[in-house]
Amino acid sequence: MIEFTGVYFDGKTSRAYAVSVVFDGRTLHIRGVEGDYPALDIPLEDCTITPPLGNTMRSIQLPGGAQCQTSDTAAVSALERLTGQNRGMGFVHRLENRWKTAVGALAGLVLCVWVFVTYGIPFLAEKIAYSVPPELAEQMSRQAIEMLDRRFLKPSELDPGKTEKLQEEFQHLHSEIDPDSDYRLEFRKSPYIGPNAFALPSGLIIMTDELVDLADSNRELLAILAHETAHVKKRHGLRSIIQNSGVFLLVSALAGDITSITSTAASLPTLLARSGYSRKFETEADTVAALYMIRKGWGTGPFQAILLRITRDMADYPGESLLSSHPLTNQRVQHLRDIEASMPSGEAAE
Amino acid sequence: MTHFVCLNCGFSASEKDLDGIATCPECNVDLQPERPRRKDDSHTATITAPLGSQRCKPVFTGSAGEFFRIWIVNTFLTILTLGLYAPWAKVRERRFFYQHTVMDGQPFDYTAHPVALLRGYLIVGGGILLYYLAEAYNPLYSLMVFGIFSLVLPFLIYKSLRFFARHSVYRNIPFHFRGTLGESYKTYLLYPMLIPFTFGLIIPYWAFQRKKYFFGNIGFGTTANIFQGSAREFYKLYGLVVVLLVVIIFFSIPILMSFATMIPAPEAGIFNAGMIFFILSIYFTTLVVSTFVQQYIYAWTTNYCLGHSELGNIRFQSTLKAKQLFWIRITNILAIIFSVGLLIPWAKVRRTRYIIDNLTVIAGQGLDEFTAGVRPDESAYGDVATDFFDIDIGL
Ligand SMILES: [Zn+2]
Repeated sequence: MIEFTGVYFDGKTSRAYAVSVVFDGRTLHIRGVEGDYPALDIPLEDCTITPPLGNTMRSIQLPGGAQCQTSDTAAVSALERLTGQNRGMGFVHRLENRWKTAVGALAGLVLCVWVFVTYGIPFLAEKIAYSVPPELAEQMSRQAIEMLDRRFLKPSELDPGKTEKLQEEFQHLHSEIDPDSDYRLEFRKSPYIGPNAFALPSGLIIMTDELVDLADSNRELLAILAHETAHVKKRHGLRSIIQNSGVFLLVSALAGDITSITSTAASLPTLLARSGYSRKFETEADTVAALYMIRKGWGTGPFQAILLRITRDMADYPGESLLSSHPLTNQRVQHLRDIEASMPSGEAAE
Repeated sequence: MTHFVCLNCGFSASEKDLDGIATCPECNVDLQPERPRRKDDSHTATITAPLGSQRCKPVFTGSAGEFFRIWIVNTFLTILTLGLYAPWAKVRERRFFYQHTVMDGQPFDYTAHPVALLRGYLIVGGGILLYYLAEAYNPLYSLMVFGIFSLVLPFLIYKSLRFFARHSVYRNIPFHFRGTLGESYKTYLLYPMLIPFTFGLIIPYWAFQRKKYFFGNIGFGTTANIFQGSAREFYKLYGLVVVLLVVIIFFSIPILMSFATMIPAPEAGIFNAGMIFFILSIYFTTLVVSTFVQQYIYAWTTNYCLGHSELGNIRFQSTLKAKQLFWIRITNILAIIFSVGLLIPWAKVRRTRYIIDNLTVIAGQGLDEFTAGVRPDESAYGDVATDFFDIDIGL
């Protein structure tokens, strides 16, 4: 026998009737407290119990659109167990009702986000990046270079004779590192960016006149080109775009509908994740370039030299921070030395 | 002498004035003799408080701790299911706020079924994916998708309002929304398109029409809300906002300029510390000013629209203060940023409580006399779209 008091609404008017409810094991007997309305006997299996939520009132939907509300949550929970309704939401409610499980959910949430950001998003981004059709990559790259040409780059003023040899050596280089794709090397003058090089997803590599002037030998420039070729081969450009938008989507989804706040605050985690991702890609490209140089028997010396010289020179250029996201040069140079040191000496001399 | 009242609209007149007429001149409903007046309420009928009126204050009974637990568990489940649980989380969050809004001892309820929302999430999600794909392929296509979207938006808002009203329930009687699709297209497509041709002069009128679309078409049970606002007041509000903005800009420019000159001239390019400080202070000033203006408009509009609404014999009084709302918003933003989002539930509960606390409902004949109408089923995809794009639909 379950007994409780509550309020009855017939669903036709907004009038509230105080009622007492008695459940005899099969049927709910609903009786008006003042007067004889309502007087209903309804089998429990015809009732729909609304899922529990926090410490709010419970309500029972009766057939025909009527409703019974009560603050006696224990009684309704007992009825709920008898009918077997709301098993899923009842479980959620039990999680929500205790601080222990709520803190557990918080820990689980942090773990999920961490796993997703470190493994999930990069994995998905890689899958997506490799399924992007070449035409799309071509079109995106064309738009990007048009924008860069308008804003930051000027036509190259280098003597074509000077770069002819480099173009030739570059043909060898990319056919050895990535034989399946097309590559092009172009030069631009940019007092804004300074000595630098970057690759677009279509395989177009842009090198600045300033970088060519800074280099002591073509071998140094080939090290840079090997690094950029690795970026294209591993689709780092596309992957980082996809990963960054993934993080941004995740943060916005987590923060929910307080849009004005997320637009301000979401940029910070996105920025942090972006620098983490780009560091990974740079190290990967450096490794490819170093292995190539070692295989050629040149060693990583030229690569280290040009990196250090670029860093020394960079401070003079204002726009550098726009394009560069490379990790600290000292760490990169150390990474190159580590690779060379780990090689058996016979292989390096080959 | 006996007074007669119309239970539908609150019209009231003495037996003598009526001169034998037994139906309400506005609604054509039979007039009822008025209930005996209470002693403390013996003032004569005014437009804001009909005879025999009861003032009743809705209260918000939810606590931040209770909502934090609900929020964190549901967010976790949403992430764990890769977003599939989102509609369930949404319904639980809404139900929390509805069920803790208690008026005259009875809570509100939100009865939407998550599966209806899920369908909407999938349709809208597909549309957004299409937009981003189009944008990545060619910005021109995304412009086309945007054009299609603005054509569909009024339909989505119309659907959304119907869904929202149909599933908002009080005392087991649902609300309803009787706005037409044509009105929606006029409000959300025609007027915004006219903005450039009228040099923006239509903006206050547009704001008025948006509110009118909601407040003029919402209803509870079979009773329709009557909205008596006028566009002129909206012109006054926006005029005041413009004056306010001009004054603020006039005073803040010299201050910002002096900041800029205090810092040594740029040497190593444009990215030096002084410039960053200058940009940050502009950003911060813009944030503060725009937040204040937003809250000012929100407070005024809510107070005005509720004050000029009449739901049967019920009237509303909202006493929101822009200064308070601004303070709540700014401190909420800071709290959320410094708690890495953990105080989002506290911020939401705090703002809701302030808004509910400032609402008074003046009921002519108590809240027992509303009747339910037919209950058509509404699809949820409109609701999801407006939710996703955070479109302002009123309350
Ligand atoms: Zn790189």
